Amino acid sequence: MKQFAGCAALAIVAAFAVPLANPLPASAADTIVLGAAISITGKTAKEGEYTRDGYQFAIDTLNQNGGIKVGGKSYQLQLKYYDDETKSERTAQLFEKLVNEDKVNFLLGPYASAPTGTAAPIAEKYKIPMVEANGSAESIFTKGYKYSFMVLSPAKLYLRGIIDVVRKKDPSAKTVAILGENEPFSKEVAQGVAEYAKQLGMNVVYHELYPSNTQDVSSLLTNVKAKNPDIVLGAGHLQDSLLIVKQAKDLGVSPRAMGFSVGPSSPEFRANLKQDADYLFGATQWTSALKYVGEDVWKTPEAYAKAFKAKYPKYGVIPYQVAESSAAVIVYQKALEKAGTLDPKKVRDVIAALDFTSFYGQIKFDSRGVNIYKPMAVEQLQPDGNKYTVYPTEVAEKEALYPMPPWNRRASR
Amino acid sequence: MPERKLSRRQVIAAASILVLLVALLFVPKFRSEYELLNYTRFLILALMAQGWNLIGGYTGYAAFGNVAFFGIGAYTTGLLMISKWAVPFFPAMFCGAILAALVAVVIGLPVLRLKGHYFAIATLGVAEATREIADTWDSVTQGSTGIDLPVRSEGEFFYYSALALVVLGVIATALLVRSKLGYAWVAIREDQDAARMLGINTTPLKVLAFALSAVFAALAGGLTAYQNIHVTPGDFFKLEYTLQMIIATIIGGTGTIFGPVLGAGVYQLLSTYVWTKFIELHPTVLGLIIIFFIIFAPRGLMSLVSEGLKVVRGQKRFRWQGLLANVRAHRVT
Amino acid sequence: MSSAEFAQIAVNAILLSGILALVALGFSLVWGIMNIVNLAHGAFVVLGAYFTFYLNELAGVDPFVSIPLSMVTLFIIGFIVQRVLINQVVRAPLLATFLLTFGLEILIVNLVNYFFKADLRSVTTRYSGTGWTVGVVRVPYIRLAALGIALVLVALTAWFLRATRQGRAIRATGMDIDAARLTGVKVGTIYSLTYAIGAALAGAAGSLLSMIVPFDPNIGGPYTQRAFVISVLGGLGEVANVVLGALLYAFVDVFVGARLPELSQAFTFAALVILLVLRPEGIAGKKFYA
Repeated sequence: MKQFAGCAALAIVAAFAVPLANPLPASAADTIVLGAAISITGKTAKEGEYTRDGYQFAIDTLNQNGGIKVGGKSYQLQLKYYDDETKSERTAQLFEKLVNEDKVNFLLGPYASAPTGTAAPIAEKYKIPMVEANGSAESIFTKGYKYSFMVLSPAKLYLRGIIDVVRKKDPSAKTVAILGENEPFSKEVAQGVAEYAKQLGMNVVYHELYPSNTQDVSSLLTNVKAKNPDIVLGAGHLQDSLLIVKQAKDLGVSPRAMGFSVGPSSPEFRANLKQDADYLFGATQWTSALKYVGEDVWKTPEAYAKAFKAKYPKYGVIPYQVAESSAAVIVYQKALEKAGTLDPKKVRDVIAALDFTSFYGQIKFDSRGVNIYKPMAVEQLQPDGNKYTVYPTEVAEKEALYPMPPWNRRASR
Repeated sequence: MPERKLSRRQVIAAASILVLLVALLFVPKFRSEYELLNYTRFLILALMAQGWNLIGGYTGYAAFGNVAFFGIGAYTTGLLMISKWAVPFFPAMFCGAILAALVAVVIGLPVLRLKGHYFAIATLGVAEATREIADTWDSVTQGSTGIDLPVRSEGEFFYYSALALVVLGVIATALLVRSKLGYAWVAIREDQDAARMLGINTTPLKVLAFALSAVFAALAGGLTAYQNIHVTPGDFFKLEYTLQMIIATIIGGTGTIFGPVLGAGVYQLLSTYVWTKFIELHPTVLGLIIIFFIIFAPRGLMSLVSEGLKVVRGQKRFRWQGLLANVRAHRVT
Repeated sequence: MSSAEFAQIAVNAILLSGILALVALGFSLVWGIMNIVNLAHGAFVVLGAYFTFYLNELAGVDPFVSIPLSMVTLFIIGFIVQRVLINQVVRAPLLATFLLTFGLEILIVNLVNYFFKADLRSVTTRYSGTGWTVGVVRVPYIRLAALGIALVLVALTAWFLRATRQGRAIRATGMDIDAARLTGVKVGTIYSLTYAIGAALAGAAGSLLSMIVPFDPNIGGPYTQRAFVISVLGGLGEVANVVLGALLYAFVDVFVGARLPELSQAFTFAALVILLVLRPEGIAGKKFYA
C-alpha cells in the first residue's frame, strides 16, 4: 500500500506536467500544408524516400512558380511528413497527428498499399481528402470511402502489359507461372494477371503466394521449373524480385520471358543484378519515355525528368514512385485552383470530378476514387545496360527482346 | 508497525489514487484530440502489460506470444461487428476475450509444461502460427487484405473505454494477487517443485494465469481494432506488441500491481517524445533508453519509487552508488 | 512431386542448412555458455554482410576472401559489446539480458540504416549463379561453397571448444561458473571470448549471405528467430547437434515451403512445439556445452 502514494504522484506528473507531444506552431495563413506519413526507415525505406522526394519536388516547383491561386489569393505549399517506420500502426497514429495536431489542410498517401489501407479510414473519419500515389490495391477502395483518391492504375493491371508484349512477339506462348507475395497489393497483382491470362486462353500452370519477408524461394522455383512455363511473373516488392532472379539463375529456371510488378524500374535492380538483369520485363506506372502532353508545370514526362534530375542529381534514372508522388501534388493544385476554397468537403467534390492530362498521364477518378483511365507501361532491361519502354507499343522506345536466352547460354562479360 | 500510522498511509494512498483517477477522467477536457489518442494508446498498452504481468510477472512464465490473443481479440471483434448480425462493439469485444481465453487454455495445457526459454520460444511460435493462419484463411479473415470496421470518430469514447478497462484491470489484479490464487502463482514463480510439494496443483493455476492474460490482451486488441478501423494480420499479430507489453511491465516493475500501468505510461511518453524529436534516429535513442533501464533499473520504477519514498521519509540516505547495485550484483569479472 | 523435384528440393534444403547452422552456432554458444538469448545476433549477421559488400564494392575484395576479415572485425565488435554492456548484467534474470540485447539490436540496425541507407544490396561476382548440373539437380557453386565453409567453421569451432585451453575453459564456465572460477578461469574474459566468437560466426554467416540473398539493414531479425528455433531443436549440448537442428529446420522449411508456402512458419513452429512438449531438451540435447 505504501507505494501507492508515490506512484500516483508520479503518474499525475506524467499525465499533466509533460505533454506527450509538443504542439507545433500553426501554419502561416498563406500556406497550405499537405501532410503525409512516409516510410523513411524500415522495409520500404527506399521507396519511402522516392515518395518523399516526389512530393517535395512538386511542392518546391509549384512554390517557385508563384505558388497556387485559390480564390484570387496566392498560397505557398508546405510538406509536413513523418516517418512511419514501415509500420501501419504508426501510420494510423501519424495521420491522427497530422489531422488533429498539425492541422494540415490536406493529406497525401503513405508508401505501399498496406499503410494506405490504414490511412484511408482516418481520412474518412475526419472528412479530409487524401490523394494517394503509392497504394494501388483496389481493396482500399471497395469500402465505400469518399475521401481517398488514387492517381495510380490499379494493381490488377500491373502485369497485363507484359503478357501483351510477349503474346505480340510470340502468339504460341501458352503457359504462365505466377509467384506472389501475400500482402494486399501483390495478391491483387497476381490475381489480376492470372485472370487476364485465362481470358486470353493461356494456361496458368503455377500460382502461389509466399509470405512477406521471404528469404528463400528456391522451393517454389523448383516447382516452377518442373512445370516449364513460357512466362514467369513475380508479384512482390523489390527484395522479392531480386531474390527470384538470383535463385532462378541458381536453379537454372529459364523461361522465355520473366517479368515483375515491382523492381525492374528501380535503379537498384540493375545495381544488384548487373548483367543478370538483362531481358527482364518490369511493369511501371510511368516512364520518362512516355509521350503525354499535360496541362501542368512540366507538361511532358521528359521535361519532368530533366527538371527532377537537375534538382536531385543523385538519381540516375527516375523511379516511377517519384513521378506518381509528384502527380498527387498536382491533383491538389488543379483541384484547389478550381475549387477556389480550402474547405475540405468542397475540395473533395472537385477532386472527384477532375479530368485532366498531366505529365503523368490522364488523371480522372471513377466512383470509387480509382484512376482507371491511365494505362500501365512495360519496361525492359536490355543488354546494352539501359532500360527501354517497350509498351504501350505506340510510345515504345525499342522493340522488346524475346525470348530471353537461357542463363547458361549467355556470354559472360 | 503501529496501527494508526498504517491507516494514515492508507488514507494518503487512497486520496492520491482518487486524485489521479479524477485527473485522468478530465484529461479529454484539457488535451487535444491527438494527445488524447496518445493517452488512449498508453492505456491500451497498460491493459496489455497488466495481462502479461499475470503470467510473466506473478507466475514467472516468460510468455512471448501474447500478441496472438491481441490479434484474436481484434479479429473476433471486427468480424462480429461487420458480420451479418452486426454485433455491437462491447458484446463483440467480450466474445473476442472469451475466444482468446479458450485458445489460451487449449495452447496453455501442453505449452505450460515447458520452462524458461523453451516456454518463450513455444509461445513465440504459437503467435507466428496464428498470424500465418489469419494471413491465409481468406474465406474468414480476408487474408492479408484485412478487414475494415465501422468508422467511429469520437476519441473520448475510446479513451474512457480504455480507462475503465485499466481501472478494472488494477482492481482485478489487486484482488487476485491478494487471494490464495495470487500466492500460489508467486509460489510457482519462486520454486515450482516446492509449490507442487506443498500440494498446489500447478497446471490449472498456470493455465488460469495464461487465460487471464489472454483476456486482457484480447480486450486491448478489440479496442485497438475499433479505433484503428483497418485490421490486417501483419499489423495485429506483430511481435512488437508482445515486446512492448514486456518492456512496459519491466520498466514499471514485474509482479507489482501498478508497475505495468506506470511502465506503459513512461514507455509511451518516452517513445512518442523521442520520435517527434529524432525523425531518423529514434530507434537508436529508444534502444539506448532500454539498455539504460535494464542496466540501472532492472527491477523497474516501482522499486525506485519505494526506495525514493524511504529516502523522503528519512528512513534511508540517498546514495548515487545505489544505482549501480544492479551492476554490482550481476556483472562478472 | 516428381522425383526430380524431390531431389532438387532436398538439395536446396541441404544447401540452406549450412548457413543456418553457422548462424545458429554462434547463437547457441552464447545461449548455452552465458545463458543469454542474444537478440542482437541477427544484427551481427547484417554487419558481416555490409562488411563484405563494402570491401567488394570499394576495394574489389573477393567476397570469399573477406570472410576472415569480417570474422575478425565482428570478433572485436562482439568483444567490446560484451565487455562494455552485456557484462554489466550478465547474471541477471533471463528477461533482463533478453531486453538488453533487444535494445542493442534496434540500435545497431537503426545505425546501419542511418549510415548505409536502406538500399537493397547484394554482392554479385563473375561466378554468381553458375553451378553444377548433376543429372536433374542443379547445385549453384556459391551455395555449395557456402555450405563447405559453414561446415569447416562449425568443425573448427567444435575443435576449438574441445582441444584448446581456452575452449575447455569456455565449456567449463558453461557447466559451472563457480567451479570454473575456483580453478582459476577468468570468467569475465571467457564470457567476452564466447560472445566475440558468437559475433564472429554471425559475421561469417553474414558475409556468405551477402552473396546469396539481397539484403538491407532489416534482414537480421528473421535469422535471429531461426537461430532461436534451431538452437532449441538441437538442444544446447553439442556443436554437432546444431548442424542436426539446422538440417531438420531446413528440411521442414523447404518442403513445407514447396507445398504450402504461406503456412511454412506455422508448420515449422507447430513441429517445434510438439517436439518441445515431447522432448523438452531438444532432439539430442543435453543442457550445456559439456
